[in-house]
This record gives sequence, structure tokens and C-alpha cells, in this order.
Amino acid sequence: MSTAAPLSPVQATSATQTLRQMMRQRDALRAPFEATWKELSKRWSTDDLDAWAAAVLALANVNIGPTGLIAYWDVSRSDTAAGIAPLLEAADAATEICRNAGARAAALSLKSLPIARNAFASEPMLTRWWSALRGLSREAPEVIEPMALRMSTILAPGSIDAFENFIAAGLKLAAGNKAVRLDYFTLQHELTRRLVSREFGGVDFAETERHLKTFVTALLGRVPLLRSLPPADTAIPRRASIAGPLIRLPDVYRGFEGDAAWSLYRAAAAHAHAHLVLGSDRFIVGKLKPLQIVLVGLIEDARIETLAMRQLPGLRRLWAPYHTAKPAGIATAPALLARLSRTLFDPDYADDDGFVAKGRALFGQSSPRLEDPAISREIGMLLGNDLGQMRVQFNAKTYVVEPVYRDDNLGLWDFDEPPQANAEVLEMFVDAARIEQQESDDAPRQENQAPDSEAGKARSVAPDQRGTVLATYPEWDRRHGIERPEWTTVREVAAVRGDPKRITEALDRADVLRGRVAQLVRGLRVGRSVRLNRQHDGHDLDLDAVIDAGLALRTGQDPDPRVFRSSTSKHRDLATLLLIDTSQSTSDRLASGATVLDVERLAVAVLAEAMQALQDPFGLLAFASDGRDDVKLTTVKAFGESYGADSMARLDGLASGYSTRLGTALRHAGAVIAPATSFRKLVLVLTDGEPSDIDVDDPADLIEDARRAVMNLHARGIDSFGVVLGSAGITAASRIFGRGNTMLVHRVEDLPSRLSELYFRLARR
Amino acid sequence: MSLDAYRITSEPYYQPHGEEIEIFRAAYDERLPVMLKGPTGCGKTRFVEHMAWRLGRPLITVAAHEDMTAADLAGRYLLEPEGTVWHDGPLTQAVRQGAICYLDEIVEARQDTTVVIHPLTDARRVLPLEKHNEIVPAHADFQLTISYNPGYQSAVKDLKESTKQRFLAIDFSYPPPQIESAIVTRESGADAALADILVAIGQRSRNLQGHGLDEGASTRMLIHAGRLVRGGLPLATAVQSSIVLPITDNPDVRAALRAAIDACMP
Repeated sequence: MSTAAPLSPVQATSATQTLRQMMRQRDALRAPFEATWKELSKRWSTDDLDAWAAAVLALANVNIGPTGLIAYWDVSRSDTAAGIAPLLEAADAATEICRNAGARAAALSLKSLPIARNAFASEPMLTRWWSALRGLSREAPEVIEPMALRMSTILAPGSIDAFENFIAAGLKLAAGNKAVRLDYFTLQHELTRRLVSREFGGVDFAETERHLKTFVTALLGRVPLLRSLPPADTAIPRRASIAGPLIRLPDVYRGFEGDAAWSLYRAAAAHAHAHLVLGSDRFIVGKLKPLQIVLVGLIEDARIETLAMRQLPGLRRLWAPYHTAKPAGIATAPALLARLSRTLFDPDYADDDGFVAKGRALFGQSSPRLEDPAISREIGMLLGNDLGQMRVQFNAKTYVVEPVYRDDNLGLWDFDEPPQANAEVLEMFVDAARIEQQESDDAPRQENQAPDSEAGKARSVAPDQRGTVLATYPEWDRRHGIERPEWTTVREVAAVRGDPKRITEALDRADVLRGRVAQLVRGLRVGRSVRLNRQHDGHDLDLDAVIDAGLALRTGQDPDPRVFRSSTSKHRDLATLLLIDTSQSTSDRLASGATVLDVERLAVAVLAEAMQALQDPFGLLAFASDGRDDVKLTTVKAFGESYGADSMARLDGLASGYSTRLGTALRHAGAVIAPATSFRKLVLVLTDGEPSDIDVDDPADLIEDARRAVMNLHARGIDSFGVVLGSAGITAASRIFGRGNTMLVHRVEDLPSRLSELYFRLARR
Repeated sequence: MSLDAYRITSEPYYQPHGEEIEIFRAAYDERLPVMLKGPTGCGKTRFVEHMAWRLGRPLITVAAHEDMTAADLAGRYLLEPEGTVWHDGPLTQAVRQGAICYLDEIVEARQDTTVVIHPLTDARRVLPLEKHNEIVPAHADFQLTISYNPGYQSAVKDLKESTKQRFLAIDFSYPPPQIESAIVTRESGADAALADILVAIGQRSRNLQGHGLDEGASTRMLIHAGRLVRGGLPLATAVQSSIVLPITDNPDVRAALRAAIDACMP
């Protein structure tokens, strides 16, 4: 709309006049404008109209174009009930979107406004909708257009939270990658579809995981390792799968929603866990044909389910709804297999097919030896032969285990030994082998996180990568006995996000310790009451004091009037900042194969969990240094935020590297903890040696500096305490923190328990 | 003062599932103090009652609590019109007259309180009453038994080493399924099939110990559920109100436990 003349403020006596003047020159726009104007002037006062005209002028001034203007007029006319405020807001938002994302995006946003009006009943929600769009137009201008076109689908859930969540998830997922972003906002991405469908009662694995874990543990008394199984690329529906000790459940079960999905997840988890608890060693593949493999699995399924139902008869109710095979229809291989599954599961099911009947007879004969897994192989092979001779079609590639809750049974087979069978069999195992490989790769990965060996002391970093400068601090010059002002620079290094699951798993493995710490927490949380004897007032007589007073009265002495007893409970009011040393030396490996940092991470996770449970305010800060003007600090958990998956991810993402300039880190810790309002403030330092840095020759300089930093903190009412790993740093540490405020952990492996114990000791003081 | 009120006249039902009766009897013969360890509701108190009945001794039970002082156990001077009068505490009564003194949940008591039992539990077998200026030698029949739930164990509430090491210990745990089922049948009047189901439910909840629950359902809880069913309540409702609701407040754990319990129902 290049013809829109720039407005001169001198001419513009009022926005209305200017706008009308402009419209007179625009043939295409004149008619719709006049119509709108006529209608609006019936509703509004002159002032309102003027404000509206100003809004239209603003739109015209950002070159929104005729489509956009007409769209705006349409929405202005259509909503007769609302006042002028939402319209002015819409114009304002459209102006900004137009500036950021272009005229078309702005026009389409205005056109989708009626959809939003329908979806959200109230004005504040519309305001949030606009501000979400504004924000998006700044961050990802190119997606506004495609998104506005699909607004009705996106808004189908009907809540503004869902919409904001949708945008946030998209931006996070893409992390700046434009292709992924576009994919997401055009609803092509798998996650989008899930997010949108989730709102309609879809249930996914993540949602059920905790429940399933507890449920299955209660059932069979062993804690399962549950993982999610991403959807397959093919059209074949996913089934649960067992790989080694892991139970992998599909991310979503298509076609199951709400309670039905929950029941299905329960059924699947119970079945898979029964395999692990009641099943046996894996079968050798040998020369079995695909059909035989499938049948051995099917019999094994029936065997472990029968065993499980002997213990827990109610499991039948859990599994029965999925056995829906009917004794009719074409006798294809999958149909016969489903019927065989049902006949072995359900004693009341009648099926006169010869094959199915034989299966039931064979299984029935073996019922005295049900505990013996060999029967699965025996019966499976016999039936496999039979079915093979019936010449029914069977395609191993497209075969899917039925009923839906059962797992694909690949976990039953031992494929370490190269199967001599044909290619079809091999193919069946490729996926399972890959999974197992992947999972075993997973374990050492955590330890390999330390950056490459070049990330040592002398690596130079480009200035722009060094992070935001947070503050500068003085440093003590030991030789000259002065404090050098602004000597060190602290930079915030954005945390690398790891996988919070790894932290949770490490915690799960350390469940004994975790239980002990949880008990300490409970003991502390109760807030033990302290009894005060011999008080002037109280809720109870202090009998001993009363008797003393009585004796005094009788012997003619002055009695002590303090004859009451009261109680008070002590509350802790303690804020803690945990300073974690991530210098290069923390990448050293221990005898167990884990690195020092791994142990530190676990120790911090255990303690953080306890502090969170106690609702004590705390912060987690990791530090390393690369010379005086680059002391790197990473906020793992800020004081204000709560400890959750986010902080765990950042904790997991910590990597070893660089040196230890402790004094500066302590000074900064003081600045971080100072605003906390708690009565006691504690800086807990976790380090594995004495301070050092690349630009300091004499470590004594840094020790002395750190000591001054500690004294400084003390003067401000902040306690500091050093936890030293390995005996190397103990002399330095006791010099820095004082002997009473230093704890030496000889065996690094003991750190998790010692650290928590220390905290509880300090917290009680 | 006579201890007749503390005598147990009819046999309290107790179903042994180990050698606990023999151990206790041997300990009593030597007048050695005994510590009963085990989770709540597994039969510790009932066992002591049963043993007191078997041995024909009166039983004085003291439930320890956080505010219990040494004077609450040993005794104190009370004021009466004619002056101060010494009153023996329950422990002193048992020591003087030869009863079995049972201190229930001893960890609950303050640690300074538990120290008064020390001279009674070694070779001295005396109870010094410092306020009364008296040393009470233990009656030949006196014996001390304490109970202790290791589940509560924490740095805040734990027995001192010097206390722990004075006692013989008998470990109590939930009885094996068949025995527990018999106990539930006997105590609640439920039939054997129902008792089996209740025991299976109990095991499900015990599987969650440390994984969402601090302690599993006790035998006592199962008996309560059995009684409710016998009184006409449907099994599911009875289990819900006697086991699921009391045992946890966490809605996730409740839902999972309920699903697992459902798997035990016929």
C-alpha cells in the first residue's frame, strides 16, 4: 500500500478527518470503509470513533494493505456486543505483528480473531491470545502466517493455557531451527499432533509412568525399569517390548483414550513385568522358523499369565477385555493365533477349530509342569509345525502380536548367538538388537560427558562465547597485602541441559541412601518441641518445681514462683547455597568407573531432594575458572525457582573443565545468598582439591584470597563450610574455612551420604 | 499395692512363627532384658501379653512418648494435705513386685529417660531412685522388655548404642502367608478364602515399602478389614477404608495400590 501518504501532524487535526481524507483517495477501500463507519457511528461516541480511526491509521501506516484493513473493519463490525477496547487492542497487536512478520501475517491474524473469540469466552483470555501472537511474531515471524491459517485446529482444546503451551513447546522443540519450527507450526510434526490430540483426553506414557511403576511394584514386588518407545515410522502399530531388564511401552496407544488408555497401560505393564519376574532365561533361536518363534512366544505368554493369575486372580479382569477373538471368520494365521491366545487365556471360550483345540489340549496336558519354561518351546514348536502344514499365509514382517497389551516377545530370545535361521528371522531381531545396543550405550555415556581433553586449562575461548558478565570482584594480593579492586570477572555460563531421567535413575539406584535421608528429613520436619521447665507461665504445672516451692513454703523460705512448664517448637530458618566445583580434576575416574563429578552430582541430587522436601530455600551453583577475567558460574537452581525436572536437567548437564578460583566464587556466592531473608545463611562448598588457576603460579595466593572471602562472608553473617573430596586438599581447605568448618571425605563414593548428613547436622545447630 | 489388676487371666491368642516363645522363655529364665523389633501391627504387644500369661507374671505396659520424663517411669513426690508423699512410677512398681515391665515404642521417649533403665538391665539389677534416696533391688521375677520399630529409625530417633547393647533381640516381621492367613481367620472370624485374599492384598502393599509407602499394611489392618467384611461390608469398601485410605495420603500411590489390590480380588 505504497499510496498511503505519510501523515503530517499539522494537518491531522483529528484522526477521523485524516482517515476520511485518506479514504477519499482510495477507490477500492472507500465503499467498505463507508459501510463500516456508518455502522460504527451508530454505536459509538465521537471520541470512540476518533480512537478507532487512529487505530486504523496506525495499521495503514505499517502498510498492512487493503486485505488487512478490510479484515479489521470486518472484525470491528462483527462483534456488536464488545466495547471499543478489544478492537483497539487488536489493532495494536496487528500493527506489531505487521511490523515483525509482514502484512499477510497481520491480516491473517485479524481474520482468525473471530475463531479466537469463539474459543475464549472472556476478554482477558483474548488479551493473552494476542500477546502470545505478538511474542511469537518477535521470535519466529515466519510461523505466524501458517499458524493463523490453522487457528481453528490449534484452538480446538479451547483453553488459552493449551495455546500458550503449544507455542512454548514449539519454540523449545525447534530451538532456533527454522525448518523444525515451520514443521511444528504447520502441524506436520509428530509432537504437534500429539499435543493437539492430548487435549482431547489422549494419554501418553509420560503421564502414566509413575502410576505404572508403583502399580507393577506392588503387584510383583520388584521395581520395573520403564522406558518409552517412540512411535514407529511404519503403519504397523507399536507394541510393548522388553529389552534386557527394560520394559519399553509405546508413547501412545493409538485409539485408546482416557480411562481406556490407563487400563491398557496397566495391562501391558503387568504383562511385561510378569515376563521378567515369572519368565525364564531367554530361549535359544536355533533353527526355529518365524512361525514357530511366534508360537513359542504365544505359549510363553499364556504360561506366565496363568502363573500370574494363580497368584493374583484379579489380573484376569485386567487382561480379559482385550481378548476379543471370535471362533468364526477366515482362518488366517493372525486370526488363528488370536483365537489360540484367547482359548489359552479364557477357559470359557469355545472354539472348535482343530488347531486351536489342539493348542488347548497340549497346554492343558502340561499344566502340572507350568513352572517349566521348556513347555513353551515344546508346544510352540509342535503347533508351529501344524500351522505351517496348514499352508496359511503368514508374513513375519507385518505380523503384530495380539491382543494389544502383549509385548512383541523379542525380549524372550537370545540373539547373541548368530541365528542360523533364514533372513526373515534375522529381520525380526534387528530392531530388538538395536534397542539393546542403544541401551547399553546409554550407561557409559553419562561418564563420557567430560569435554574432550583439550578442554583443559589452556584453551582459549572466543570472547562472545564466554557468557554474560555478572560482576567483578576484588582479589587479595598476598605479597603486597592489598586488595586489588575489580580484579576478577564472573561470567554466567548458560547451563547445558542434560537428561533429568539420568538423575532420577541414579537416585533410584541409590535408594537405600535416599531412604535414609528421607527419614532424616522426616525427623527434622516434625519440628521437635522443646520443653521448658520452671517457667513463670505455661500450660502445665512443673511438678518438681511445685514440690520445691511447697518444701520452701513449709520450711519458711521464699518459694520460687516459676512452677509452670511450657513447650516451644524450634523452627529452622536456613538458606543454603551449594557451590559445586566442576574443575578439570572432577573428571578423574574412581575405581567404580564413575567420575568424581558423577558422584558430586548424585550427592547434590540427594541433598537437593531432601532440601526440597523440607522446603528450605536453597540454590545450586557450579563454578570453574579460566583465568581471572573468566570465572564461570552456572546456575543449576536459582533460589527463586523450585527444584524439578529443569534443575535436574541442568545438574545432569554439568561437565568438568577448567580450574578452581575459589575466592571469587565464594564472593559471588555471598552476593547471591545475601538477599535471602532467612535467619541463617550457609554457603556449602563442594571441592576436590586446593584452589588453582592458570594465571596464578603460587596456589598459596588463591588459598589466602579464599580465606579472606570466607572471613568476609562471616562478617556479613553468612556461614561457609567446605566439603573436601580426597585428602589432597584438606590442608588448604582447613586453612580457608577453618578446621571446624571443613569436612574431609576420604572415599569419594561416601560423599552422597556424608553430604546429606552434614547438612542435617548444620541445619539442626 | 497389689498387681492383681495387671495379671492376665485368659490366654491371649498368639500364633508363633519362629522360635520366639522359646527364646523369650530362655531369656526370662535368666532374667535377661529383651527387645522386640519389628514393624507396627505385626504382633509384638500381643506376644508380650501371651508370654506374661504363659509365665504367670503380671504385665505392666508403659507406652513411651516424647514428653516422658524419668520421673514418669520411676516415680515422684506428690503433695498431699499432710505433706509430700512418694509415689512409685510404673517401672518402680514392676521392679519391687516382680512384674514384666513392657516399654512400648521406646524410641519415642527422650534419650535421657531411657537411661534410667540402664542399671536394671545389667548385672546390677537395681533401680536407683535418687529423689527418694533409695536403691530398689529388682524382685527375682522382674524382667524388662522393650519394643522398637526400626522403621522409625533416624538420627533424631534412634536408640543409643549403650541402650541397644543391653538387650537380647527378637526380630518380628510379618508372618509367612499361611500363618498370617490363619491369624486373620482366627482374629477376624473371616473364612479361609477371604483371609487368603486379605493376606495377598497385604503383600501387595508390603511390596511398595520404600517405593511410595513407609510401611506395608500390618496384620492388624488385615484383621480389621476381615472384621468389616464379616460385619457385612463389601470386600472392596472394607479394604478401601481399612487399608488404602489409612496407609497413604498420596493420591498416585493410592491409585496404584487400588489397582494392585484389584488384581488380588477373585
